[in-house]
Amino acid sequence: MSYATQTSAQSGSLPAFRFSTAETMKHVVLIVGCLIVLLPFYVMVSYSFKSPAEIMQNIGGFFGSQEAFRDDYCIKLGKDIADCMVTPVIYNYTTAFEKAPLVRYLLNGVFVTASIFFIQVLVALPCAYALAKLRFWGRDVVFGLVLFCLLIPVHAIALPLYIMLAKLGLTNSYAALIIPWSISVFGIFLMRQFFMTVPDDLIDAARMDGMNEFSIIWNVMLPTAVPALLAFAIFSVVAHWNDYFWPRIVITGDRSLFTPPLGLREFKGDADGDNFGPMMATATIIVAPLIVAFLIAQRRFIEGITLSGMK
Amino acid sequence: MARSKAHYWFVGPALFLMVLILLLPIGIASLMSFTNYSLGNPGAEFVGLANYEKIFTRSAYAKMFGASFRYVFVVVPLSVGLGLGAALLINSIKRFGDVYKTIYFLPVMAALIAMATVWEFAFHPTIGIVNSTLERGCGSFLESWSWYAHGCKQGFPLWLTDRDYAIWTVAFIGVWQAFGFNMVLYLAGLTSVPRELYHAAEMDGAKSAWERFRLVTWPMLGPTTVFVVTISVIRSFQVFDTVEAFYPQGGGPSKSVYVMMFAIYEKAIQQNLMGIGAAITVVFLAFVMFLTLAQRWLVERRVHYT
Repeated sequence: MSYATQTSAQSGSLPAFRFSTAETMKHVVLIVGCLIVLLPFYVMVSYSFKSPAEIMQNIGGFFGSQEAFRDDYCIKLGKDIADCMVTPVIYNYTTAFEKAPLVRYLLNGVFVTASIFFIQVLVALPCAYALAKLRFWGRDVVFGLVLFCLLIPVHAIALPLYIMLAKLGLTNSYAALIIPWSISVFGIFLMRQFFMTVPDDLIDAARMDGMNEFSIIWNVMLPTAVPALLAFAIFSVVAHWNDYFWPRIVITGDRSLFTPPLGLREFKGDADGDNFGPMMATATIIVAPLIVAFLIAQRRFIEGITLSGMK
Repeated sequence: MARSKAHYWFVGPALFLMVLILLLPIGIASLMSFTNYSLGNPGAEFVGLANYEKIFTRSAYAKMFGASFRYVFVVVPLSVGLGLGAALLINSIKRFGDVYKTIYFLPVMAALIAMATVWEFAFHPTIGIVNSTLERGCGSFLESWSWYAHGCKQGFPLWLTDRDYAIWTVAFIGVWQAFGFNMVLYLAGLTSVPRELYHAAEMDGAKSAWERFRLVTWPMLGPTTVFVVTISVIRSFQVFDTVEAFYPQGGGPSKSVYVMMFAIYEKAIQQNLMGIGAAITVVFLAFVMFLTLAQRWLVERRVHYT
């Protein structure tokens, strides 16, 4: 063991291909971890390929045999048996889209997350600029308020927010999905910290050129803030695409307003044996956009998600 | 620039929304928690501390606190510990570190409600992959473990529908989802540990990896740990998606998974008992704010220390 610890201690100077017990053990532990982490992803994607029988008996490997099976629902509709033979993977994914308006849910998700981010920036950016670069009476009070509001998890005050929206007759509307998130004190804080690092000379030069404060924000500060904004965008989009709690509360009946997580929940509600495959297909479709984006731009995503570490 | 009135327009909207969306609701919840208000009723009666009295005396709410604290006390240490462990391992290996990092981070990105649906299948007593995998181990050396032998004879646990296992199974999913996030924060923390400190520790006779960890890494990660623990506690207190997905009614087998967020949802939204819901909200907020303030205080104290 002392040999092992020594090698790891001097790892910097060792050639890359030397076998080391400690190193191997570490990889073994990490790989076991990976298996557990990946298990549900494996189950999800695999089941979305399989026929009900294969899912029930837990056979068919990862892809299933893709042997055509009889769609009982189709038989019920009185069609010919030959027309009702379906390939599992095609059946699962087409059912996912046909049984519920999944496209509509996905578009709702895109619309809501995009609107939330857009409004958050519209509100937070000017405020952050004022807090960082303008001197005015009450600035410290406002910033203190921002710091205090950072303590409040919006999910925790869902109940009074719900009552306020209900009193205004706004439940079951896009407004209900978006308004509570329109203010991101975290966004203000983050942008303010970022703007503090922008040199005053840049702003003074812009003023000399006759720019007013509004155009300074959108033409000078916004372009410099792109990296921070990108990280914030990822933070915001991931949180709201995946959010289930808030839509669950304010969208009660109207299916046309469902976001993807609500759509999946509805599917789950009436899932019987035959629907496992389509349900897993729906789950895959909902999870896929963010996972794919993450795999493409990992570094940016990890930065964005861990932004909250800056508090 | 001081002459300009532009800042009113810049700060105004944000200030207005902050008060309306974040501060006013706290006030409303506090006021409502002293009433028996329900939506649709014209008025409400002042009931004093009755709602709080219920929360702190009735057994249903005792179960609520029990479930929440059990969940938090499992998820936080495990997700922080595993996050730290994974970060240390990944930091110390020569190759493939990025691959592990990516994989461990996947659950953080995936919609929890979707993954909860999948876990429900995986933990299904008869067709789930967990129990069918466990059954395959029957007859092997694993049976020397009495729990395992019992499972082979009597059948493995029902997991999510078994009241002795439900909360731990839900907590396991919480750990599964959260530890990658903590790992990334720890990896960021590790990059800021100065290399010279390790050399210095070695000179001072810290020979083993454990000694170096105890003397250098752990103290240097102090601020990261404080932050990671706080954010984990706050997030674990807010658990809802998995609980609602598994137990849309009632909070699990004999209310063993009746966590606070679910209680707020059930009382206020499902049963329209706004007063009780508001009282739970206030208690919840008090917890979270106290924890965050404690964290800030700890971090500030540490700044002078290091």
